[in-house]
Amino acid sequence: MAVSWLRQLAARSRVPVFPVWGWHDDALLARLALSSQVELVDSPRHASVLLVIGEIPAALRDGLRRLHDQLPAPFAAVWLRGAPIVALGAPVQIARDDQLIETLVRTHRELMLGQRESAPRLLPDEPPNPWKGLGDDGHGGEGMMGGNPYGRPMAMNMQNDLRDGLTLDSLTFRLGPFFPLLPAGLCAEVTLQGDVIQSWETRHAALPQRLDPIFHAARQHPVSIADLELARARHHLVQLYRALHLAGLEHVAHQAVSLSQRLTSSSRLDGLRRQLMRSGIFRLAAMDGVQLDGELASHLGGPAARAAGLEVDLRTNDASYQSLGFRPQYRTAGTTRARWEQWLGEIKQSLQLARQAERDNLHTANTGAVETPRGPWADERPADGSALLDEVLPGLEWDEAMTLIASLDLRAVADAPREASA
Amino acid sequence: MELLTLVIILSLALGAGLLIQWLPQRHQPIPPYSQRAPFLGGGTPDTHAWNRYHIRYYPMTLLLIAFEMEMMFMYPWAVVFVEKGMMAVMEMGMFLAILSVGIVYAWREGVFRWQ
Amino acid sequence: MIESLASLLMVTVVLVLGPYVVAVLDRLVATPTGAMAGDVWLGPLSRAAWLLTQQANATEAPDWQAWRLSPALYLALAAVGLAVVPWSPTLIATDLVTSVVLWGSVEALATVVIFLQGWSANAVLPLIGAYRYVALGLSYILISMFVLIGVALPAESLQWTQVVTAQESLWNVIRQPLGLPLFLVVGLGLTFWGPLNLADSTDLAGGTSAEVSGPSRLAWELARAVMLVAFSAIAATAFLGGWLGPWLPGPVWVLLKTLAVLALLLWLGHRLPRVAPERCVTLMWVVLLPLSFVDLIWAGVLALWA
Repeated sequence: MAVSWLRQLAARSRVPVFPVWGWHDDALLARLALSSQVELVDSPRHASVLLVIGEIPAALRDGLRRLHDQLPAPFAAVWLRGAPIVALGAPVQIARDDQLIETLVRTHRELMLGQRESAPRLLPDEPPNPWKGLGDDGHGGEGMMGGNPYGRPMAMNMQNDLRDGLTLDSLTFRLGPFFPLLPAGLCAEVTLQGDVIQSWETRHAALPQRLDPIFHAARQHPVSIADLELARARHHLVQLYRALHLAGLEHVAHQAVSLSQRLTSSSRLDGLRRQLMRSGIFRLAAMDGVQLDGELASHLGGPAARAAGLEVDLRTNDASYQSLGFRPQYRTAGTTRARWEQWLGEIKQSLQLARQAERDNLHTANTGAVETPRGPWADERPADGSALLDEVLPGLEWDEAMTLIASLDLRAVADAPREASA
Repeated sequence: MELLTLVIILSLALGAGLLIQWLPQRHQPIPPYSQRAPFLGGGTPDTHAWNRYHIRYYPMTLLLIAFEMEMMFMYPWAVVFVEKGMMAVMEMGMFLAILSVGIVYAWREGVFRWQ
Repeated sequence: MIESLASLLMVTVVLVLGPYVVAVLDRLVATPTGAMAGDVWLGPLSRAAWLLTQQANATEAPDWQAWRLSPALYLALAAVGLAVVPWSPTLIATDLVTSVVLWGSVEALATVVIFLQGWSANAVLPLIGAYRYVALGLSYILISMFVLIGVALPAESLQWTQVVTAQESLWNVIRQPLGLPLFLVVGLGLTFWGPLNLADSTDLAGGTSAEVSGPSRLAWELARAVMLVAFSAIAATAFLGGWLGPWLPGPVWVLLKTLAVLALLLWLGHRLPRVAPERCVTLMWVVLLPLSFVDLIWAGVLALWA
């Protein structure tokens, strides 16, 4: 009786969800982040539901399987907009986006009440390496060295440290493809010395992102500048949400994503901006360490390039934008702080442009080349920038590295636009 | 009596902390290996995580020892402070002044940086 | 005897109800409308129930004893903190003549326990959180000591009851204006809360807790909540005159003052971003530690002059 009472109570808790983004979708992220019934968590250990969105490319499925098995029982996997990679144990599949929250809540409830079995493990129950306590000290190796005590070798290193030249151990591991602080799909082999990154090799690029359909439409025919600029502001606000979540400013992050959902040309950014300034984030977080120089930044384009002092913006060539008196904003530092300020500046500018354009019902003049929020799209779509991390991350402390990654939009632009949310 | 209550409170809390963990888990099997792999977003480590870790703030820990020694002196000092009057202020003032110079020196040497 | 039992009961009640109060207050402080957190009143209970239902995670080769002990030890440390809080001149569980020192040792040992929590999982992310927390722990401990010596000076004693009695004419929060703000920083560090959450931070996907789930995670969160309460009660004793106050009985004043400090701590946690580890250490040693010297000298000169 006591158990069922406990489970009844547990069934009423917010659903802790670990999301895996095969297809990224800002609108869906916003819906999850804003729901009071769902809690997005950063570690599968803290989740009761694994939510997989979109098709996961074959190359990343091993990673997904490992992640799937890391949720503590009882847990369930819920699949949205894609088929489950395994047909074991009655996986939950959602047909329509608007059933998402409802299904998550129901699945969690069923799990808690014992009406649904915990999802089965996909991988065999074996230690990573065979180990039977061989060797002099039962560590599995010859003599005093080597072997796989408890299934893995011990860390060993002969390389000197990057900063002070001490030779201590380094740790090598593969991070991703679904590490919550990296863009989805990004895999890297990382070597750490202490908490400083010694090397970072990108093994799999981030999955391409699907932009708002209006950026695709803008390459076909003139579109309303007001709509285009609002979509741009929305994109930057969601980027800001991720960075703010990382910075530990949960309620400002919540504000940013909520603003992105009810954004109109009469919206104001001032409240959000004021909160940010008051929190002192630009003084307290590590934002000034690395400068992205012009060459690296120009690969990325968009706000990252403009934050590094490059005055590149396709909107300057558009006659309609010229008639609005558009001049691109840019900053010179190229640091994480500069990119945050660039986001804030560009969101504000977009809102202003949207207000002006709405008044005159202006449409774009150029259709060949569009400045997407990710970067210029003239002949070629903005390409993936994940490899850039290999150059900028070594030598950085972990927190600083994660802050830097969150301030960059590395994902390529996919050829298909985002589906309209049902 | 004072210490007895302290010990009772200490053991109550310690016991509660262990019971909360033990009671719900006592019949649970140990999780399978696939669940026990460390979380790296779907990635895998080469080695165990325990290692000769590079503690980047180690010069700061040495500076701390100097201060900790001073604290020993400070507890009894606090009790007799008012009784001893100005002399106690001067003593501690000198002590703090020397330590402050130490902090400034250490700062200049980059002790508070991640080496 | 009756007093001892009453004080024991008091500590137990705070130990049991404290975490719930912290969770509710935290939700209220985070979003005044409660829109973000779901059900404010039932939310903490259902979350606790979920954690009890969830399986406790294991890693491949953890240090089992240390891993299970660290939440319990952290809770025990917090309980020791509660034990030295005087609720009234007589209602106090442990009224040692050196109870200020005892609290100081709680702060120092907390660093060890939090390190243990991250270290024993034998996984990269918790390990980074653990070592990073030690840098913070070593930095805040000195500030705390100087501030606490500052409140001991006018009392001419290392006993919390004496510290309160010495505030009869004027509370320390006014007499030593630097004291409480500095001590709040220590509180944020001790409970790795908000801006000083270097142990369980988002950049490490949960840091020392990244590999912890189920009842063990519940124990860890309970311990942290009790530590927040214990710290607030100590701060109320050291700076807000403890049981002193008109009309209401002493214990009620202590509770009210504790809640006020607690709400302030929780609010700060939501309003400030996480401080970068390196910046945090520099800030502590170069800015806050000298400020705590000033606080001590201020307290000393004032104690002689008064």
